[in-house]
Amino acid sequence: MQSESRVDPRIIEEILKFSKNVIDAPKLVSAPDEINLEVTPHDVVQEIDKTRLLRYRPQTDKQHKTPLLISYALINRFHILDIHPQKSWVRSLLEQGFDVYMLDWGTPTDMDKYLDFDDYVNGYLDSCVEHVKNESSTEQITLQGYCTGATLATAYASLHPENVQNFIATAPVIDGWRDTTVISNLAKHVDVDKMVGTIGNMPPEFMYYCFSVLKPFEQGIEKYVNFFKNIDNPKFVDSFLRVEKWLGDTPPIPGELFRQWIRDIYQKNLLIQNQMRVGDSLVDLKKIDMPIFTQVAVGDHLVSPECSMPLHYAVGSQDKTLRVYPTGHVGMIASSISQKRVLPELGQWLAKRSK
Amino acid sequence: MSSYTPKDSTDYYKHLSLFWTDITPLMTRKPQALTSIGPMRAFTANSKKISTEMVEINEKILEFNKYLTEYYQQLTETWTDAQKKVNLKAPKIPQDAEQIEAFKRVWIDIFDNDFTDLFDSKKFGKNYGKLVSMELELTKHWNNITNVILQSANLPSKEEIDEVYKEVHSLKKRITRLELELKKRGKSNAE
Repeated sequence: MQSESRVDPRIIEEILKFSKNVIDAPKLVSAPDEINLEVTPHDVVQEIDKTRLLRYRPQTDKQHKTPLLISYALINRFHILDIHPQKSWVRSLLEQGFDVYMLDWGTPTDMDKYLDFDDYVNGYLDSCVEHVKNESSTEQITLQGYCTGATLATAYASLHPENVQNFIATAPVIDGWRDTTVISNLAKHVDVDKMVGTIGNMPPEFMYYCFSVLKPFEQGIEKYVNFFKNIDNPKFVDSFLRVEKWLGDTPPIPGELFRQWIRDIYQKNLLIQNQMRVGDSLVDLKKIDMPIFTQVAVGDHLVSPECSMPLHYAVGSQDKTLRVYPTGHVGMIASSISQKRVLPELGQWLAKRSK
Repeated sequence: MSSYTPKDSTDYYKHLSLFWTDITPLMTRKPQALTSIGPMRAFTANSKKISTEMVEINEKILEFNKYLTEYYQQLTETWTDAQKKVNLKAPKIPQDAEQIEAFKRVWIDIFDNDFTDLFDSKKFGKNYGKLVSMELELTKHWNNITNVILQSANLPSKEEIDEVYKEVHSLKKRITRLELELKKRGKSNAE
């Protein structure tokens, strides 16, 4: 007797359903372009060159005295911190009574290829800090940096400690040699001088390549299969498209800034050794003496915990807190874990220090 | 009389191209003078530059292909090894929906791990660095050709535009510093 091989009817059913979902997708969901990522109401309170300083409208009657300025990363845009009303980092902080400002670095063009760390730290970031201080009539602010924005904020906190009352470093890029990610491996092997000398600003496509080698099958196949499988789940689709739109929109990085970034942080690892220069000054991490809260994610495949955590041990602050969360780079700022755990812990820590 | 003996075919074509681009203007210099203020003057004068760049581009493409082949070889080897691991772990052809789901999970995990190990390795990083570097060499030659065309159209070259950008950047920086200084003085005067 011959063995009979039968195909599970559920497989056929699933294939048919999946095909139908792919065909129906355009009828069921919005195109990414139609989605507005600027969720929480805000005003643009300052514009310098391509940068914008946003101030979010308060959500509580009473607010903590010290305003909070967020220095977002140089890759992708600030929208991830306000990606969805239920997952918004900004909204949660507003609801906890903080006065929140955001620095949008804008979209550099060829003309901005000579902008460097000095321009970003002592220029744009400093002018935003001054604006926030003036607008809120305070002598100091709370500064939060995320990812590469935390590196710029670290340099700022070291060079201008008198302006920073509290410092929050979320997944900061600090110790390039300890970074175990694929990104750091690529960064260590590129001829950055030739790159910047030839093409100027770092084009978004180069960044997309770097992202494409991170969990390529999970992110490149599985993610999209899940999207089409869940096409009739409006909540899932909305969240997916918002994050996808955010992922697909990264501005170029000014050439000089990129050169200094790769050379000083990933190749020579100067920042953690207190040997990195920004403008005419040396960035000494020991000069960061204000209260500091460092947030790190165990599953971060963009900035590994080993790269971020040395900041906690290198600063001169007496009042310092390190939190390690069981999530990833984006999960730490835009997920249910960030809403349930990361933000409440941060809020509590900050409220005590914002009087 | 000197005799030219090319080392290989690339050298031969390089020589052939340079020979004709050098000799043609010498032979036609006088009639060319007639168009000395015409739109094609700069282009004709710089045409040698274009052919030299083209020859060099060909040389660089050969090197670029070497690294590109290595790049894809590394990907292919990793793919083959990962597939072998999947076959060992899930030897049977999945029959039902649960088995397919389990097979997919195993496949994705093994492939993601193996490819991450590759992208994290020194050999990948080194070859990737060389590949990017060669791509930049090609871009450089392309920029040089573009500059010849820009100049023939009486437009500034990329380097000249960059100089302006640099100057604007440095002026902006100086103005910002002066404004800051003024602000500080204003503050201390007010106090």
